[in-house]
Amino acid sequence: MLKRFLWLRGAEIFALLLLAAVPLWVSNAYALGLLTLLAIYGILLIGLDVSVGYLGQVNLGHAAFLGLGAYAAGLCVTLLGWGMAGALAMSVLVGLLFGGLLALPALRLAGPQFALATLSFSALTTTVLNEWEALTGGAQGLSLARPPLFGTNLTAHGFYWLCLVLLGLVWWVMRNLLASQWGRAFEALRDSPIACDAMGVGTYRHKVAGFAFGSALGGLAGGLYAFNFQYLQPQSFTYELMVILLLGVVLGGRKSLWGAFFGACLIVLLPNLLSNRLLFEMIAAAGLLIAVIAGARAYRHKTQQIFQSLAPIFAMGLLVIGGLLVENTENWRKAIFALMLFSVVVGLPDGVMGFVATFLVRSLGIVPARIEPAARLDAVLNQPVSDAKPLLELKNLRRYFGGVKAVDDISLTVRTGQVHGLIGPNGSGKSTLVNVVSGLYAPTGGEMLLQGVALPMGSLLKVSRAGVARTFQNLQLFGELSAIDNVMVALKDVYRTPLGLLLLGLAAADERVAQAEAMALLALVGLQDEARSLAKDLTYGAQRRLEIARALARKPALLILDEPAAGLAKPDVQTLIVLIRTIQARGITIVLIEHHMDVVSELCDVVTVLDGGKIIAEGSPEYVKRDSKVIKAYLGVVQEEFAEPLSGKELPAC
Amino acid sequence: MGLVYALIAYGFQLTYATSKSINFGQGELVMLSAFFSLTLLNFGAPYWLMVIGGLLFGAALGLVVERAAVRLALQQKSEGWILLSIILGLLGFSAAENIWGRDDRPFPTPISADALHVFGINITPLEISVAIGVFAVMGLVELFKRKTLLGKAFEAVSADRDAAELMGISATRTIMLSYGLSGMVAAMAGILIAPITTVGPTMASALILKAFAVAVVAGLDSGFGVVLIGIFLGALESLTSFYVGSGWREAPGLILLILALALRPNGVFGKAAIVKV
Repeated sequence: MLKRFLWLRGAEIFALLLLAAVPLWVSNAYALGLLTLLAIYGILLIGLDVSVGYLGQVNLGHAAFLGLGAYAAGLCVTLLGWGMAGALAMSVLVGLLFGGLLALPALRLAGPQFALATLSFSALTTTVLNEWEALTGGAQGLSLARPPLFGTNLTAHGFYWLCLVLLGLVWWVMRNLLASQWGRAFEALRDSPIACDAMGVGTYRHKVAGFAFGSALGGLAGGLYAFNFQYLQPQSFTYELMVILLLGVVLGGRKSLWGAFFGACLIVLLPNLLSNRLLFEMIAAAGLLIAVIAGARAYRHKTQQIFQSLAPIFAMGLLVIGGLLVENTENWRKAIFALMLFSVVVGLPDGVMGFVATFLVRSLGIVPARIEPAARLDAVLNQPVSDAKPLLELKNLRRYFGGVKAVDDISLTVRTGQVHGLIGPNGSGKSTLVNVVSGLYAPTGGEMLLQGVALPMGSLLKVSRAGVARTFQNLQLFGELSAIDNVMVALKDVYRTPLGLLLLGLAAADERVAQAEAMALLALVGLQDEARSLAKDLTYGAQRRLEIARALARKPALLILDEPAAGLAKPDVQTLIVLIRTIQARGITIVLIEHHMDVVSELCDVVTVLDGGKIIAEGSPEYVKRDSKVIKAYLGVVQEEFAEPLSGKELPAC
Repeated sequence: MGLVYALIAYGFQLTYATSKSINFGQGELVMLSAFFSLTLLNFGAPYWLMVIGGLLFGAALGLVVERAAVRLALQQKSEGWILLSIILGLLGFSAAENIWGRDDRPFPTPISADALHVFGINITPLEISVAIGVFAVMGLVELFKRKTLLGKAFEAVSADRDAAELMGISATRTIMLSYGLSGMVAAMAGILIAPITTVGPTMASALILKAFAVAVVAGLDSGFGVVLIGIFLGALESLTSFYVGSGWREAPGLILLILALALRPNGVFGKAAIVKV
């Protein structure tokens, strides 16, 4: 435990002190310039990593935020005569504002559309900076003098230390944010936005907040950039810079502060590497060597596809051969970036630091952080209340898809403390009904009441916050998160520290409570020993139970289980039955959609049978099983029909 | 001009239909094909041979993009293709800069650029040839999709990839086909536009943003919607550069794109998909 702390924190502090001390014995102005740039790019890339790494979006607009921040700071100084602190605050604000403005529409989109939106934003920014000559000086550029900081003029050394302090601050704040429920939510929503909403974590607001935060860091870096170069041109913030920034983040390693830092080092040093022929050749050869070794290892262990091993070797080989043939490597700068980036994206998806981190953790024997012992389950889940009052009331609920009446005029009452079964043949409307109640679909018509209060319609998030939790027929776990993190994402009523204090690292108490509660829930479903395993690595049955634990973390009044036994082996089904009994005994009402009749008969107090979007029977399991309509719905024929005399003279057409 | 946007946007639709991916380096494809065709002409190839050569070159590049950037990402069900296709575009850009130089070169054409006056509008035969070329290519591809077996396989994969695979259609090959076709369409756009814009490494960078805009505003599955939006955007740009200033002519397309994404993410002519769990 202490060892882990010393290694992780120690490395960070040591690196920072080392960087701060360099100018004391190196007085070369050029080296100092590079170091300053390193700090600035460090901040910039940490910001970019929020969207590219944690949110998992391809963000092509970060260079534009750098530009906006730079111009904002520059204009504050030249036009308004502000000091450095004010101007920097302004550039952060501008980044935050424009980031939010872009994110609001753009983050409703997925994948390519989002990339396109950021790309257009970036092109639009360049156009505006170029054409609004009255304000920005257009293509002529904008010159400014470095303003004083709180009345004192900074030397080159002083400015470097300022940048470094800011980098350290950003690093610290970022680490606090990522270690909190916010960081977990960022990662979770990449894996399953639907489950995030259903677990009460607003996908959209987290995305927008994350993106705006990253953009604000871009703005801050822009302000520093302006004071460093003291001359701004719109051409500096175009597509090419964006590609270089992406190279930095991806090559350094996504989702890693060290990765962003390493990427920044690389970007700063690249021009020097390229201009020195010998050095370039050496790097290219080293790249080829690494690609060949990694490829050979992967081939032997069959961990990758052949393409994944061969493509980087091919690209690096091209780099080596090209380096020998081409006269001037500077001219081929973009091609060199492209080849390097290509190799890393294909062959080393975790980046250099991701690779190094795995290696270090293994070789130094750093143990993962300790997890709090489980809390008492009573402290997590409500005490039993089984008064059989109506909990969920549906009145004339309808949902049509075009002409298909998937849910057609359903009225239903679910009573507190009961297990209410919902059965019916495939396509009878069970899943649609659940999707309407849980807010995935808005109903076409009808009313829904939870404890007498209207249930929000068409919003997973609002329904979830009203006290309804659900699992999914097709699992929607956050595969890249550990089991305990999956539960902690959904946990309700635990995270109380305001964001401001949280950023300053004052939310450790919340974290401990959250871990203890999550462990209690994992123990309930029998997964306490798998807390650290990634959700995607669990067995199928364990994944199903993890989904239930995650839904329970919402501390719901109503729990909807959508075919929890589907695909489970016999012993797992038995475990599930016991689990559902335990949950019911904790006072949580359950709606159970199930095909296994034995599970339904054993657990349910009431069963509702759907067919063709309508209710065809309701009652105790025993009653429902004997209902002729139910038998007909499932088997298609009813024996009585044969017994009945044929009516009239017509023969049935068969 | 608007029609050329439409043609490139049509190239996006082809690959989006089969694989839900588009080539972010398509602009470089347009540019490289134009350069290649110019080189063929300089070697003394006749005009028709140049067109065929250019189209084949475009198709080949399309296949390279599919193999290097798209296939792996699709297998992993990730969005890595966005980044990878940008990277390949950058590589192509750099190669063009160094092989053919950074200067713009004229692209000879047998068609005259002198303006004709038809109903009071100035129009050059060159522009008419662009229009004819665009419609010819789109018509041919649509004909191919509807009348040939391979084309029907293409439609099947677009409609439902898994079902098509179960019916014995190789989705991978169909996606290859779509990238080949898309590359060919891009090459055609390059050959058509080159006499007007001249040929240079940056000839397509402005073009491609607007083609993106057209594709997204119309909807990536909108079929001929791109033609309407393309013409609309072309007209809007001319008006902007006339009334506001020529430096601003890029702006309406970009604003339109962001607005369209905000208001109708599936495009004016696109269909909304229902989320299923």
